[in-house]
Amino acid sequence: MVESFGFNRRQFGGLVAGLTASLGAGSAWAQNTRPFKLGALNSITGAGGVYGPGMLEAIKLAVKEVNDAGGAAGRKFEIFAEDDQTRADAAVLAAKKLVEITKVEAIVGIWPSAVQLAVMPITNAAGIITMNTSGAPEIDENDKLDLVWQFYGSNVIFGRAFAETVRKLGYKRPGVMAFNNATMLAQARYFQKTWEEKGDKVVDFIPYEPNQTSYRTELDRLLSKKPDIISASSYLPDLTIILKEWYQSGIPCKFIAPGWSANETLARTLGADVVDGILSVSNVPATQNPAFKHFSSAFKAATGREPETFAAASYDMVICLALALQAAGAEATPAQIASKIRTVAEQPGKKVSSFAEGRELLLKGEKIDFDGASAPLTFTPEGRSTPDFGIYEFQKDKLVLKEVIRLT
Amino acid sequence: MIWVDLANATINGIVIGLLLALPALAVTLVFGIARFPNAATGDFMTFGAYTVVAAKSLLALPLAIGVAMACALTALLSLFFYWWVFRALVRRSPVASLIVSIGIALVVRSTITFFAGQSQYTIEVPLVRAWNFDGVRIVPTDLYIAGVAVTALVLTFCLLHLTPLGRRMRAVADNMELARASGINVGRVMITLFAIVGFYCGLGGVLIGIKAVVLPELGWELLLLLFAAVILGGIGSPLGAIIGMLVFSVSQEIASLWVGASYKIVFAFFLLLGVLLLRPQGILGKVRAVR
Repeated sequence: MVESFGFNRRQFGGLVAGLTASLGAGSAWAQNTRPFKLGALNSITGAGGVYGPGMLEAIKLAVKEVNDAGGAAGRKFEIFAEDDQTRADAAVLAAKKLVEITKVEAIVGIWPSAVQLAVMPITNAAGIITMNTSGAPEIDENDKLDLVWQFYGSNVIFGRAFAETVRKLGYKRPGVMAFNNATMLAQARYFQKTWEEKGDKVVDFIPYEPNQTSYRTELDRLLSKKPDIISASSYLPDLTIILKEWYQSGIPCKFIAPGWSANETLARTLGADVVDGILSVSNVPATQNPAFKHFSSAFKAATGREPETFAAASYDMVICLALALQAAGAEATPAQIASKIRTVAEQPGKKVSSFAEGRELLLKGEKIDFDGASAPLTFTPEGRSTPDFGIYEFQKDKLVLKEVIRLT
Repeated sequence: MIWVDLANATINGIVIGLLLALPALAVTLVFGIARFPNAATGDFMTFGAYTVVAAKSLLALPLAIGVAMACALTALLSLFFYWWVFRALVRRSPVASLIVSIGIALVVRSTITFFAGQSQYTIEVPLVRAWNFDGVRIVPTDLYIAGVAVTALVLTFCLLHLTPLGRRMRAVADNMELARASGINVGRVMITLFAIVGFYCGLGGVLIGIKAVVLPELGWELLLLLFAAVILGGIGSPLGAIIGMLVFSVSQEIASLWVGASYKIVFAFFLLLGVLLLRPQGILGKVRAVR
């Protein structure tokens, strides 16, 4: 029930101190160029605390890989880590410190959309790059300077993934419930749009208000239309209440929900009887890519566990950034570096799977296409790379991967 | 089968209404006797819910003892703030007490998040299927929740109307100076009041925690609704608060059968406007002469 944060603040401080010390020790290698200051703004505590420590670990591993290869364009990376507590207000303070005092040139490893949206005005004003794993479509729309990069599926694409899955599994009468905010409604509407493209209809579309004690009447209204599956664009607290009330109703129906709400915490809260058979959709890392294989073994050696998509994406952020810096040259501004991010990860470049490999080819003047640990990394004009979607099903209280689909 | 939907919505509205009637009663009692809107009510509820979570997960106590502990500790918390802050503000403008109560709300909530974090907790009770009467469904857990709430409400009315202490409380509510002049110990009445308020907030918080999930904003988010229900029922009237809350929540649930879920709250507030236009003092409120 209690989420394990893995770190407390003191340990986190110690870790950052140790990190800086180890980076200092590594710089015995003589270099004349200034280091590249990299901010790591991770959700170490709070709701994102499940993923944040792994993301920071991945950033450290990637930085080590870059520095071991001699740095990007001769510049070694230096990490400055901050905990955003999965809260926009704490994130703004941390970002101000990183931007105004430390003067970082990029911030990577942002997990929640709320944090990315809150720090965007600060980082954009300073003209520095940010990289995140956030799903809010507003980020894509508001990134006018092309400095913000997403390494995770947009909620809009998630809606499509839901619809494709529901169709593939042979359901005929889906109903939709959506948390009433822009992001979740966008996801639910995209579900409806994708579903109705082929002439089918959803049985009902019910947005619900946040922070209610009960969603029973909304749920009853939908269940009275006899759906065979409900697509729930929900967060964890509301999904918990909805599923509790659905189970109590005793009416048979399936649910499909995003991985950030239909997860192990939900299963622990509600128990195997309730969650059994519920579908959960989330982005999965590109396990077939060589980049994932070497990242995953380094990650396992460091932490003793498999990396999840957020960690793989954080690793890719640093490698992409380093390759772009290599391509742009040591004197490049963050905006110039950002303009190279697409070019180091696009066809018809030569496929590379590590920084050292890419750097070598770039030095020879060749074009490269970095295939990352999270995805093959093809950025949309808005700066988003979408990893593959994993369709999971709860068997009792364990999530089991059923299949992987690719959408762009 | 419209009547089935109506019946289900009404049942749901009554359960939520009874559950929220406990904190609504706390708001109206403080308003009637201590004469200020207590904005810390919501966060006292949150405190109660977290107490049960802590009692169950840290001390592994059974639910019943956890609930008793939550009521007792929330009562102590409420008494502590009365003794520390509100006591000193008794003779000041109600605005001072209101602002202070908002401060207390923030302090309580921030302290909770400091120790428990932002993630959700649940008060685990066995999930049971509803009894189904031709589509009209009654969840046994809801019956227990409603039963506890009704018992607590009946006890308050007994206290207020059948005991000497209740008579003293009503006397203070009516006219504090006159009560004091007649030899009533106002301080003791206040202590009883804040203990009852804390007890009900704690109990209400626990019941919501059982029905929904436990989050730091659990109580604060309900505050507007509580105040609205109290105004609807007539400020300072205990029975009014309960009726107000029931009208509010039943109308919300029934409204959401026809209007979009996003408008059900709007609908309830329209109802509030309508009632206040016809009866500015609320359903059971009394018109007070201004001295």
